[in-house]
Amino acid sequence: MYRTFPYIVLFLATTLLQVFFFDRLPLGPWCSPLVYIAPVLLLPLDTRPIVLLGCGLVCGLAADYAMGTAGLNVAATLPIAFLRRNLVALVSNREDNREEGIPSPEHMGRRVYWIYLVLLTGLHHLLFFLLEALSWQQLPQTALRLAASGAVTVGVIALAERLLTAKALRV
Amino acid sequence: MRKLIEFIRSTYVAVLFILIELFALNSYARSTAYTEAHLLAHASAALGGAQALYTGIGRFFRLGSENRRLTARVAALEEQLARYEEAAAREGQQRALAALGPSKYRMVVASVVGNSTNRRRNYLTIDRGRGDELLGGMALTTPEGAIVGYLLDCSERYAVAISILNTAFRASGMIEGADYYGSIHWEGGDARHVILDELPKYAEPTVGARVLTTGFEPYFPKGMTIGTVESFTYNDAQMAYRVRVRLAADLTKLGNLVVIDNLDRDEIEQLQDGEAIRDLES
Repeated sequence: MYRTFPYIVLFLATTLLQVFFFDRLPLGPWCSPLVYIAPVLLLPLDTRPIVLLGCGLVCGLAADYAMGTAGLNVAATLPIAFLRRNLVALVSNREDNREEGIPSPEHMGRRVYWIYLVLLTGLHHLLFFLLEALSWQQLPQTALRLAASGAVTVGVIALAERLLTAKALRV
Repeated sequence: MRKLIEFIRSTYVAVLFILIELFALNSYARSTAYTEAHLLAHASAALGGAQALYTGIGRFFRLGSENRRLTARVAALEEQLARYEEAAAREGQQRALAALGPSKYRMVVASVVGNSTNRRRNYLTIDRGRGDELLGGMALTTPEGAIVGYLLDCSERYAVAISILNTAFRASGMIEGADYYGSIHWEGGDARHVILDELPKYAEPTVGARVLTTGFEPYFPKGMTIGTVESFTYNDAQMAYRVRVRLAADLTKLGNLVVIDNLDRDEIEQLQDGEAIRDLES
């Protein structure tokens, strides 16, 4: 329970940030950060798969409800929630990752942490933008959107991780 | 049961993920007509690609039998084409023959039933006679067109011919490509050679040149092969050549022969024995 409250706060904060700040920010069509996925990426490393999937579903549903996209955010968020454990094992070169704690440079190592963040964020954004565009002809534009939006999202999630780990350390 | 529960425990997250993902995609696809159309198109393309891959794999494994079937089909078509080409060639030949009009010669194939070469007066007997509309004076040649002799007399089923290896045989011959002609006769002895005598000195024969019939006799058509020049000398008067000709036909080995009937022969002979010539000679 001691770990649940910060995540509820994180979920609310990133969803509100997404809806009231990033969705309304005049960044043009090339930059649409999707920071609401932060809870999925920052859940502790030993979180059970079903909880991860539930978290992804809730985050996606909330974003869909707020953004008026019927299922698009769920469809993009669920895969990263489902694949997170395997991707962590892949990037950390460990078949059976039993590590605990919030994904952070301290726990995972700086290099693995950044790869992990970029990989999951990139996968989510790629699915989101491809499903949104529904066309291979706009691939260069989609790649540009992916790079710009992904960079902002990774930055925000890294910041959230700093706040979360600072809070967790204090608790 | 325990295994089933373990299986469900190990896979339920994946099953849930797939179900929710499909539900989300479905609801996103149905959200607008644009997304529905595009997602359906992509799904159809993906399904089509998978189906094409499956079909391609099946086709690859059927290539052997398909190849055999095609080879058999090609062979059948080749055979059919050859028949068409043969029919077309035959039709072309028939058209060419029809364009030539009625032939001046009639050919009858015959087999030699008697032949001599070791006398001074040699004769041939063939298995065709009056029953085959053969008459005296018709030419006798090998199937390759080399002269052998000409018919003297016929019974109902057989005919006797004078051989070129007969000292009484006379015909005219010329060197191929020249207009000068001489007289062909046999001197006896050598069954492989005859003499082309009285060939004008302007003829300039060469060793190996072909000696052909002139067509002056009513029985031999013009241009039939007699033989080739083997050697030549001036005659005693030094006015003409005496040419030794190697026969094209090997008269010691005769099997089937061709009898050539010149259909204009009677008409020519009537003219040659006509009243005008008789008056002049008398």
